[in-house]
Amino acid sequence: MSEGSVDIKNLVKTYTDDRGRPTFTAVKNISLPISDGEFMVLVGPSGCGKSTTLRMIAGLEKITSGTISIGDRVVNELEPKDRGIAMVFQNYALYPHMTLFNNMAFGLQLAKKKKEFISETVGRTAKALGLDQMLERKPQALSGGQRQRVALGRAIVRSPKVFLFDEPLSNLDAKMRVQMRSEISKLHAQLGNTMIYVTHDQVEAMTMGDRICVMRDGLIMQVADPLTLYRQPENLFVAGFIGSPPMNLLKGKVQKRDGGLFFVENGESNTITVPLQGRLEALASKYIDKDIVFGIRPEHLSDEVKDPSHIPITSSVEIAEPMGSESLVYLKAGTGNLIARLHGERLYGLGEPVTIQFNMEKVHLFDTTTENVIR
Amino acid sequence: MTAQQKLKLRKAVAHAFLVCFLILILVPFVMVVSASLRQGNFAPSQLWPDKVSLDHWKFVLGIPYSEVVNPATGQTRIVKASTPPLRWFWNSIKISIIASAGIICLSGSAAYAFARLRFKFRSPTLSALLILQMFPMVLSLVAYYVILDFTGQYVKWLGLNTQPGLIMIYLGGISNYIWMIKGYFETIPPSMEESARIDGASQFQTFIRILLPISLPIFSVVFILSFISYMSEYPVASVVLQSSDNWTLAVGANSFLYEQEKLWGRFAALAVLSGVPITLAFLLCQKFVIGGLTSGGVKE
Repeated sequence: MSEGSVDIKNLVKTYTDDRGRPTFTAVKNISLPISDGEFMVLVGPSGCGKSTTLRMIAGLEKITSGTISIGDRVVNELEPKDRGIAMVFQNYALYPHMTLFNNMAFGLQLAKKKKEFISETVGRTAKALGLDQMLERKPQALSGGQRQRVALGRAIVRSPKVFLFDEPLSNLDAKMRVQMRSEISKLHAQLGNTMIYVTHDQVEAMTMGDRICVMRDGLIMQVADPLTLYRQPENLFVAGFIGSPPMNLLKGKVQKRDGGLFFVENGESNTITVPLQGRLEALASKYIDKDIVFGIRPEHLSDEVKDPSHIPITSSVEIAEPMGSESLVYLKAGTGNLIARLHGERLYGLGEPVTIQFNMEKVHLFDTTTENVIR
Repeated sequence: MTAQQKLKLRKAVAHAFLVCFLILILVPFVMVVSASLRQGNFAPSQLWPDKVSLDHWKFVLGIPYSEVVNPATGQTRIVKASTPPLRWFWNSIKISIIASAGIICLSGSAAYAFARLRFKFRSPTLSALLILQMFPMVLSLVAYYVILDFTGQYVKWLGLNTQPGLIMIYLGGISNYIWMIKGYFETIPPSMEESARIDGASQFQTFIRILLPISLPIFSVVFILSFISYMSEYPVASVVLQSSDNWTLAVGANSFLYEQEKLWGRFAALAVLSGVPITLAFLLCQKFVIGGLTSGGVKE
């Protein structure tokens, strides 16, 4: 195994109270191999165990059971400083009473490195991050973006094998976030180190990650590269989590009518009925008269007539959000709304009837009990 | 009444209230100062004496002065304190500074443990501390006496009638300071210490190099509070310290108030003197009692 790889095996974290009684299991037996030089993003809603996992890799939380290896060493019992990692925190966690130079040099000073080496390393890193003019300032005198850059610099000077990021951009404003996002990506390209990045923002996950690990309730829902995650979600959770606006998930039943199979949405009025043919018919054949979830992304609905793989459905507009070149149109459906991302510079009136084309090649069917995609 | 008149009236009432309040605070102070400058040791009758005399101050500062013994013959004698009160003054400062510094070390490290470490019986211990500190120190006077009497048999310098013994007793009264400092520590985001840990700092290094510098305000508050309380502490000191060489200011000052003769003048001079180090300590610590020391380190 190469030295920057991280291997997580059967990892469990159970929190305990002061007396050692278990209170809450945050991570439930997950396994995740991360290869050397990979940018792995852990993403999920708050409380899904992603930060806990990261903190266990860092050595800030004790592992309840399972193993974490960095390189070919099991690091379960190693102190954070001996693991070859560096971490960037959400709230920067700079030392407010120290100058930028000392903030960045603190780790090297503790490691008893030579003075010349420290000032050379810190100087070079600060220059690369555009901080070299302010090394004598204290964190208080910096903007949010600059502070996070200092935190980044503090991680870089330790020349770790693995970088850990705990939601580093959530405290920045939208513009700064986009800028820092590309800076971190650039850094990854330059250094080529393994990076593990925790975020709750699926856009960050999709844009930065080589692979993305989607977590929920202490379990891994799916690990894949961004495109696979988008194209082939394995379950309802991933389908709903990745993509903005999220995938339309219509609850209904498979019914047999006139010799063909149809998806019929639940609900009193405006229910959507779609014929299931070819691939989908084969998938749905085991679910006749059973509950099923029909998933299609807003961008796979269009109002232009296309090839026969598209099926026209007519509904009326409930809300329309024009965004210039395209509009997000909320159409009435049986159990809520069907969101369509429609191209073209036009305005939609409320209640206006619209015929949209379903791209049936992009439809996913999900089992309601297992919540997994039907294959 | 117009709005402007109403405002004026309100201002007048507020000023009147504040002036009354000031008088309430200042009159006793002025009376003590005037008593220290009065001739003789009578209880004060006027706010300001007709004739200012520095005799009491001379006595307190250990400067010999002559006193008329017999007005008829004009016979005088030289008066000088047998134990110079300045010695008590010095004892008090010494004891208060050492005890306060000790309290900062003890309560700071204990508060760190309570705020950051998780161990068995953490919260019961915390509550016990809170309950125990509700009993005044005076209640345990007898126990202190017995403890010091016992330790004195084995360790001479830590027994009864020794200043280290008194300091040791004082160091026991830290539970409310632990609570105070713990509350402050809990406002400091743990990620700062975690970051130091990843940088390779041990728990002790983290405490010394990260937590202590940003906790200066609370330590100065604790220092000034304990300094003031020990400068003026009487009951325990009066039981522990027996020889007049060892007395603190409070015990010494009280020695001027005999049943038969209350030497108010000397007492007042000593009382005013005791305010000097407290004021100095306060001015010195005030520099550190500033907010915003943690700002910039983290984004809340």
